[in-house]
Amino acid sequence: MKGVLALDAQGLVKTVGNGRAARRVLDGADLRVHSDEVVAVLGRSGSGKSTLLHLLGGLDAPDDGQITVAGERLTGRSSRALSRIRLRHIGFVFQQFQLIDELSGLENVLVPTRLPGAPSGGARRAAKLIDELGLTRVAGHRPHELSGGEQQRFAIARALVNGPELILADEPTGSLDQGNGAIVLELLANLRGRAVVLVTHEPGAAAIADRVLSLDSGLLGERFDEQRRRAWGDS
Amino acid sequence: MGRQLISACREAWLALRMRRRRVLLSAVGIALAAAMLSAAIVIAEGLGRGFTRAARTAQMGDLIVRFDPVPAREASQRIRALPDVAGFALRMEIRNVPISYAGHETTGGVGEILSPRARQGYAVVAGHNLGRSQRGVLIEPGLASAWHIHLGARISLGVAGTQRVVGLVEGPDDVGFPLGAARFYIRRSTLEVPGRRYPSPPVDFAEVWLRNPRYVNEVLVQARSESFGLRHLQFATRGGVQVLVNQAAGIVIDLLVALSVIALATAAVLLAASARAEVQRRMRAIGISRAVGATRGHVAAVQALETTIVTVPAATIGVLAGLLATYSPDDRLLALLNEPGPGAGLAQPLLLGWLASIALPVAGAAWPAWSAAGRAVIALLRGADVGSGGRRRRRSRRRSRRSRGGGLAGLGARLVAARRARLLATVTMLASSTAFVLLMLALAGALSSLETDPQELGKHYQITASAPPTAAARIARAPGVLAAEPRYEVHAVDEYALGELVDVIAYPLDHTLFEAPPLASGGRLHGNHEAEVGVGLANALGLAPRSELLLELPSGKQLRLRVSGTVSSLEDEGLVAYVPASALLTADPSVPSQVAVLLRPGANQSTVFGELARMGADPQTTEGATARGAPLVAVLKTILRAIAIVDGLVCIYALVQACALTMQERRRTVAVLRACGGGGSAIRRLLLGTVLALVLPAAIAGIALERFLFGPALAHLAAGYASLDLTPTLTEVVAILAGLAVAGGASILWVSRAATRESVVAGLAG
Repeated sequence: MKGVLALDAQGLVKTVGNGRAARRVLDGADLRVHSDEVVAVLGRSGSGKSTLLHLLGGLDAPDDGQITVAGERLTGRSSRALSRIRLRHIGFVFQQFQLIDELSGLENVLVPTRLPGAPSGGARRAAKLIDELGLTRVAGHRPHELSGGEQQRFAIARALVNGPELILADEPTGSLDQGNGAIVLELLANLRGRAVVLVTHEPGAAAIADRVLSLDSGLLGERFDEQRRRAWGDS
Repeated sequence: MGRQLISACREAWLALRMRRRRVLLSAVGIALAAAMLSAAIVIAEGLGRGFTRAARTAQMGDLIVRFDPVPAREASQRIRALPDVAGFALRMEIRNVPISYAGHETTGGVGEILSPRARQGYAVVAGHNLGRSQRGVLIEPGLASAWHIHLGARISLGVAGTQRVVGLVEGPDDVGFPLGAARFYIRRSTLEVPGRRYPSPPVDFAEVWLRNPRYVNEVLVQARSESFGLRHLQFATRGGVQVLVNQAAGIVIDLLVALSVIALATAAVLLAASARAEVQRRMRAIGISRAVGATRGHVAAVQALETTIVTVPAATIGVLAGLLATYSPDDRLLALLNEPGPGAGLAQPLLLGWLASIALPVAGAAWPAWSAAGRAVIALLRGADVGSGGRRRRRSRRRSRRSRGGGLAGLGARLVAARRARLLATVTMLASSTAFVLLMLALAGALSSLETDPQELGKHYQITASAPPTAAARIARAPGVLAAEPRYEVHAVDEYALGELVDVIAYPLDHTLFEAPPLASGGRLHGNHEAEVGVGLANALGLAPRSELLLELPSGKQLRLRVSGTVSSLEDEGLVAYVPASALLTADPSVPSQVAVLLRPGANQSTVFGELARMGADPQTTEGATARGAPLVAVLKTILRAIAIVDGLVCIYALVQACALTMQERRRTVAVLRACGGGGSAIRRLLLGTVLALVLPAAIAGIALERFLFGPALAHLAAGYASLDLTPTLTEVVAILAGLAVAGGASILWVSRAATRESVVAGLAG
């Protein structure tokens, strides 16, 4: 059963590069994602998957089209307003984890809670998440003392700590081995009450998704069937 | 080779165009460091070698001898009897000559009556020298400048009548007007009546040149034994004068040079770090260049070329700015000291400074590229770390268990602390700059006090009135006056050291009511047979409490007193003695006096002035120690201000560059913060931590440095005969902290603006 609409993107157009090198990577792409829904976007390298994710997260602006996250319009907003929307409604998970070297795992999770305007009770939520993700034992470790899987779990905890409605994951298993990759995917699949958009070029990673879309020639289209999704879920 | 160079130049130019803001910041840093270095060179070359230059230009004698007037023939005989004498010139000095020109006048002029000798120990800097019996007068540039006297003008010279100025001359053995007396030089024939014979005119000054100046001490010993018949002999050697001059200028020059070297080193460290961050960012591009066949030298050459393109104009502008800021005041200061400016002599040290300002940053920038290009190509293509990550990793592992807090500001502090060498260099730079600016402020404050505040001399009275001693009681009854007493003052000569002039001051009652310099040792004088002496006099004569002071008054009478204590007096370089009026007047009843007037608290000085004028007493405000040296103080303040401004700009640059570098190196961290929802305020908080980590230790270290090292050292050298307080006041400390806060705030705003302008996506990509 579909929850509330967490993300609504309509007619997204984006051109990258200048002059003769200009290339239209999105050409009227539409995407609607509800809470409790995981959507995977597959595509070749350079097809514009990451660009789409950056647009959905308000990190970049589309040339045309509209994006609404948790009822807040992203397009045409100031940098300050976009920061506030990201703080409250969007969480990012990156392929390279992007943990801050100087901070321990726990401190990395706490970073979004210490930003101006963050909801209160961040420390309590961070401790709970770390406990839920099985990271309590290594919470005081620096990123270079953690395995790839642990680092990505801390990154997921950081994305979740302010309770966002939308999680945007860019190749979350791209830097992990198969075992750790599976653990991370399971975590993303089981996030309750949140919409997850996962861009990947690995069909295996897409198996956790409720819907699988393919980005081709700047347009998003349905690709994987329900059977394949269940097959991954049964394994 | 030529094609390779053109290719490298094109590559470097394109790379620079891509990061204009960072390039501009680097250029500003180089320019400021070069300006600091150039200012230091101008002042070091000007002040440090000024005396040597002056002595060489003026062909100053190796020995200067003053004595009571004797016939020239007698003085010549004595000098000719000395060994190793290459030549000598005799003069007669006449003091208190009234000089006037176009509304300006002084009664304290000093005339140097020249004997017909070729060498005279002065340098003609404009016009021409006087012929053997030519009429006319030579004056010093200080007098010409102060009174706007031009060559050919006619000035009135008392007994010498009105004379035409034929030249301007500098004599390095004394300071210029108005620091010293207004000196002029005339030929003896100017004073003589035509047609009358003068067999052996009197002289009281001799300048002696030796064949071998190394034997000056031996000649001095001989001169003392051959001086029979010459009274009140005073000797000064060229080396002795030079030591005194260099001692005074030495610490200022040392401080300036040290500070400029620190500034340049810091700029080099920051530029090297900037280049390192840039190389890190371009690691893959370097890998590709290496993969397609570029040599390690080519990669380093491109980086060196990039830096050279930025450094050459920046260093040129900086050197010229430093030169412009300090050359003119330095020249004015030297003119006051009767020393010529360095002129073309500056070219070589400035060229060396310019080359250093280019070479250091270029080397600092090329090294990281050379080092990076030496790595395996495959590692470069993977974007390897250019630095010694292993060492940092081991260090951080040891400390990783510690719990830390501090939020975003704490994170900012930790980011900047991660680069320890740079942190240390920046903190050292900021601390030394803070200490230096504090010292400048304290010095300027002390100079102003000495110039305007008689209290600095221990003088409590505010007015002196030209009136007989008997008028003191009447003046004391005037409205607004608390007390008035006769103040006797006379210059005496000490009987033991032959020639030390002592300023003898006396009051009929307790002198401490009117002037009381702080006691350095012993106690105040009691009774008619005791005296307080200045530390300068005590040091010169080896006096201590209970020693005997024996003075010869101008009347030839002696004054014998026991020293009760020593006082820290800045007046007359501490060559001062407070004695009981009864003892002084017993020895010489004709000692001149004025009336010292102490005002009631809150009394209006101008009202009292008017009242005293009505009574026929000519009132004058009491002067500070350097009142006559106002032009010197003004020039010094200009120099101090110029250096302090450059220093402050270097401080701001160091802060901005350190913050910008931290943000540049940690652009991923900044991008992550922004992706998590951090806006401009989050970045500013992060930078606040960075700035505090740099500024707080620097401020503490800077204040301590000035309080315990620079201040005491300069105070000691500036006035070894008195206590000159160069401790920074609370206001000065607050001012410097406010300055640092403003610099920090400016850095935060500048860097956060640049950081938030960058695309988050580009930041995440590293």
